[in-house]
Amino acid sequence: MSVSCLEMRAIEMRYGDGAQAVHALKGIDLDIREHEFITIVGPSGCGKSTLLYLVGGFLRPSAGSLSLRGHPIAGPGPDRGIVFQRYSLFPWLTVRGNIGYGLDEQGVPRAERNKIVDEYVRLVHLQGFEDRYPRELSGGMQQRVALAQTLACKPDILLMDEPFGALDAQTRRILQDEVRRIWRRDTKTVLFVTHDVEEAVALGTRIVVMAARPGRIKEVHERGFDVGDGEEFETNAAFAALKLRIWRSVKAEVEAANP
Amino acid sequence: MKAFSIAKLVPLALLLAAWQAASISGLLPKAVLPPFSDVAASLTAMLGSGELISHTVASFGRAGAGFAIALIVGVALGLLMARRAVVQRAVEPILLLIYPVPKPAIIPLFMVWLGIGDASKIAVIALACLLPVVIATFNGTRSVDQMLIWSAQARGTSERRILWRVVLPAALPQIAAGVRTAIAIAIIVLVSSEFISSETGLGYLIFSYGGAGADDAMLAVVIYLAILGFLLDRFYLAGLRRLMSWHAFAH
Repeated sequence: MSVSCLEMRAIEMRYGDGAQAVHALKGIDLDIREHEFITIVGPSGCGKSTLLYLVGGFLRPSAGSLSLRGHPIAGPGPDRGIVFQRYSLFPWLTVRGNIGYGLDEQGVPRAERNKIVDEYVRLVHLQGFEDRYPRELSGGMQQRVALAQTLACKPDILLMDEPFGALDAQTRRILQDEVRRIWRRDTKTVLFVTHDVEEAVALGTRIVVMAARPGRIKEVHERGFDVGDGEEFETNAAFAALKLRIWRSVKAEVEAANP
Repeated sequence: MKAFSIAKLVPLALLLAAWQAASISGLLPKAVLPPFSDVAASLTAMLGSGELISHTVASFGRAGAGFAIALIVGVALGLLMARRAVVQRAVEPILLLIYPVPKPAIIPLFMVWLGIGDASKIAVIALACLLPVVIATFNGTRSVDQMLIWSAQARGTSERRILWRVVLPAALPQIAAGVRTAIAIAIIVLVSSEFISSETGLGYLIFSYGGAGADDAMLAVVIYLAILGFLLDRFYLAGLRRLMSWHAFAH
């Protein structure tokens, strides 16, 4: 549990010049170990998604360095799978086509691809929907497909950018349980961005709280206890206590940002 | 696509009935508009004699050639403009200048350059069809969501393949809408170009029958052209729906 998977060192992110300059991220230092489930929570504008896009290699930092398993991050790649809130799926591909997309791009032969796709269809409980197009699915089902599409590429780290932010509360809880189950099964390393404190505590073994203007890490909480499923939101006293502590911390940031 | 219903034909039938009634009652003199029955008889005769077939082939050969050029050049140019700022800066002002020009007005110039044969007609049809295709491709390509591209990159798609695997399919609905406009424009410009100088084609038929005072035959060709254009559009839409069943079409 101590091998470093992802290292972020003195990351700075600035947009624009002079008076209009935005200091999106300042002095970010974070080490993520293998098999950790890190959640990042903070008010809007704290740069939490930007941080995720830096790890994804979609953006380059103004200063500082990021490395994955010792290799500097130079651009996007299939070693880092990402699920966005929307637009992760290709509307012109079926569920099967979407889940197999990454495998296809990596030259996995059709027969083997089909086998892997079937496996991931079962993993996210979408049997019978293989030939549907994304627009024919509910938001929750679309995110299940996006998750399967990402996992099928077998990434070293799973990046999730508020993946359940557009879903209704019930669907969100069920998908949180699914993600936790998949993380336990595969013991993947996960970096999960959310604005929902409950979600952050429900999923993260470590919870990073960010502050805005400039975007920076305010505090890091080691959860220290296990969460079985979403019912513990109500039944686990330690859960409630940690959630309250983090909520007060985030609330102070939200109020500071909107006086 | 909604099922084609008889109810949709009612307004059309009423219009034709009113036309016929006005002609019979003498309200509408023959010199102004021949009765619908005469036009229909003319159309039947022309269809029966095969006269329309050869002219249709000539017309659609020209329109098809011009349209095909516009499609290939238009998609390529639209993509280049969206992906390379230099191309956009070079081409956009020219397109904006050509856009409001009524394309038939350029026909005489094209005839000076390319002769009075098919080449000048095909060229003006291509130019007229080019604009909606370029604009649709440019806008469609530009509006592809960045996250969709990121999503593909994070699944191992290289920079070069992004165009084929993401940008083109994502822009396809908009390109298809531009192409639909181009089809309509092709027919309009085709007929105009055949008015000016031609010995074959549906535009030529309309012009020569009109000049000869054979109004019923002239109108028969106009109606025939309207039906052809309508069917072409329907076939195009039906093809799109089959090809792009993943996309929710508004029609």
